[in-house]
Amino acid sequence: MGKMTQFMQWIDDRFPATKVWNEHLAQYYAPKNFNFWYFFGSLAMLMLVNQILTGIWLTMNYTPTGEGAYASVEFIMRDVEWGWLLRYMHGVGASGFFVVVYLHMFRGLLYGSFRKPRELVWIFGMIIFVILMAEGFMGYLLPWGNMSYWGAQVIINLFSAIPVVGEDLAVWIRGDFIISGATLNRFFALHVVALPMALLLMVFLHIVALHKVGSNNPDGIDIKKVKDENGIPLDGIPFHPYYTVKDIVGVGVFLFIFCGIIFFSPEMGGYFFEAPNFTPADPLKTPEHIAPVWYFTPYYSILKAVPNQGLGVVAMGLSLVILFFLPWLDRSPVLSIRYKSPIFKVALALFVVCFFILGYLGMLAPNEMRTLVARICTVYYFAFFLLMPWWSQWGTTKPVPERVTH
Amino acid sequence: MKKLIKISLLTLASISLSVLASGGGSYLPNDEMPTYTSHRLTTSMQNGMQVYMNNCMGCHSLEFQRYNRTAKDLVIPEDLMISNLMFSSDKIGDLMTNNMPTASAEKWFGTAPPDLSLIARSRKPQWLYNYFRGFYQDDSRPYGVNNSVFKDVGMPHALESLQGIQAKTDEVKNLENEKEYALGDLASAQEKLKNEEGDSSELNALISKSEALIHENDEKLMELSESGNYFTLVKQGQLSPAEFDSAMTDLVNFLDYIGEPIKRERKSMGVYVLLFILFFTAVAYFLKKEYWKDIH
Repeated sequence: MGKMTQFMQWIDDRFPATKVWNEHLAQYYAPKNFNFWYFFGSLAMLMLVNQILTGIWLTMNYTPTGEGAYASVEFIMRDVEWGWLLRYMHGVGASGFFVVVYLHMFRGLLYGSFRKPRELVWIFGMIIFVILMAEGFMGYLLPWGNMSYWGAQVIINLFSAIPVVGEDLAVWIRGDFIISGATLNRFFALHVVALPMALLLMVFLHIVALHKVGSNNPDGIDIKKVKDENGIPLDGIPFHPYYTVKDIVGVGVFLFIFCGIIFFSPEMGGYFFEAPNFTPADPLKTPEHIAPVWYFTPYYSILKAVPNQGLGVVAMGLSLVILFFLPWLDRSPVLSIRYKSPIFKVALALFVVCFFILGYLGMLAPNEMRTLVARICTVYYFAFFLLMPWWSQWGTTKPVPERVTH
Repeated sequence: MKKLIKISLLTLASISLSVLASGGGSYLPNDEMPTYTSHRLTTSMQNGMQVYMNNCMGCHSLEFQRYNRTAKDLVIPEDLMISNLMFSSDKIGDLMTNNMPTASAEKWFGTAPPDLSLIARSRKPQWLYNYFRGFYQDDSRPYGVNNSVFKDVGMPHALESLQGIQAKTDEVKNLENEKEYALGDLASAQEKLKNEEGDSSELNALISKSEALIHENDEKLMELSESGNYFTLVKQGQLSPAEFDSAMTDLVNFLDYIGEPIKRERKSMGVYVLLFILFFTAVAYFLKKEYWKDIH
């Protein structure tokens, strides 16, 4: 027995290192037909690590006070060695995180990855998404620019639209009657301690749940139905090394785009870093046009589309809540878009269109035409999900193959 | 899948066209600023700093930036910097602050002159270029000047000694007056229409006539500005108009540098980063191919 084997034996007698490695990587059998859409899970993990690491180093130089926050960010940009890179990696990383998470969720819609027996995988994933939105929202206040300030002002004021308790609730969230240093301090605490911990826990549960039931695939069929004499799925391959080496290629392509943005256009034309945020927070000067960052705009549009503000808040909340129920809304006999009826393809295509339009309109100041379009898209957004139990059963599906197509 | 993408894109395109169809506010003149690179850009930034230190620094600090960092990035020897460009400090490591008391400044100008460390990021360089060149004679304003890019700005024409004084040409004044009246007509007609006063067909005719006039005058003003006939010089300054434009280009290049000192370096660094990632991805790709050759 070699020294290394001896050492591993010593560890394994006390801690299930080899067991965990095998169960989750070397002997975790994933379908061999993963396509492009299956890169975004590992990329989301990459973004999580990026946010945590750059976040730790930013925290070393950031001052979470109303007086010092804005100056400390500029200190990071100018005087801290590589501080500019840390900040851009973190700021662009926030947008990058949402890009990959949205694509990851869309993959679920395409191939029915949320369907039985993966309901909990989806629900844990949705919780991650909601935590991520809270992270993004609170993180955006920290640079203490004028858009940070007014963006938070607008969003927190939404809560005061809730009847009876609204006003008190808004004060409770802010810790003050207006957005102030007190708000900044608590957002900082939540952004760097509470939410990241919750996020890590949920990611852990998301993966544990996934590995319990096994990964879905673009054909939406169960690879565990056809096994060899050793009980290994014939269409499965060990996650490591096959998907680890494959995902690294995905990481390379992703990093090329990600670093392209960081080094050549970190503001991304104002979509990732908004121009008004380069002036300090000023409670007396409202920016000409207040819009949330792009990853919130579809929901913001839904909020604005409803004529009554209180109901708008409710609609925005419901637009997220409804996603949690997706596993029970889709009643199609097949999982994957490959075998679903054309009705599903058209409905999903329209949903994507509506989602993009809502996102786009959320960035603009409303006018009559835009509000009308936003309303149509909002109605479609809800109809898509609420009527899914019926329309997902319409039309004829194609026969599903026994084995995966590769 | 491809069909799905096609349908989505087509629908998206057709709807976005109808939504996009209303532009935002713009300003005149809106001239393109010349772009410089490499050595020419460095000398432009150096000259821009000179303009800034002599004309702007008294009121507008650059409080997040340090002298020595600026000296290093703009290739200005530190001793030259200390003797010629530093008026409010003699320590090369200091932040570029000034001594204007905020409370008094508010009294003098109505609002304290803002720090300009990040002005090129919150306002875009082209906006700044046109703003600096947009001061014109307007006796109704406290300092006798207004700005065509930033209407009723509280700032006096600090660069008057360099530029002299310009005024809007008669043609521009006439067109703008006409437009002003048309806007008034338009608003009152719309108001009346809303309250259902008067003959609606007459009002609608007035509205479309006013709108046409506004549009027509906007076009003409744009043409005048593009042909350089928006302003005319009524008092000579130290610099010729061409020299002044060039000095303003330098000033904006300097402010653009101050807004993000790392900008030039990160771009040149980015090329190497991307080349490395390209190489890394190629290696990863062949590694993947090697591993996957047995998977059928």
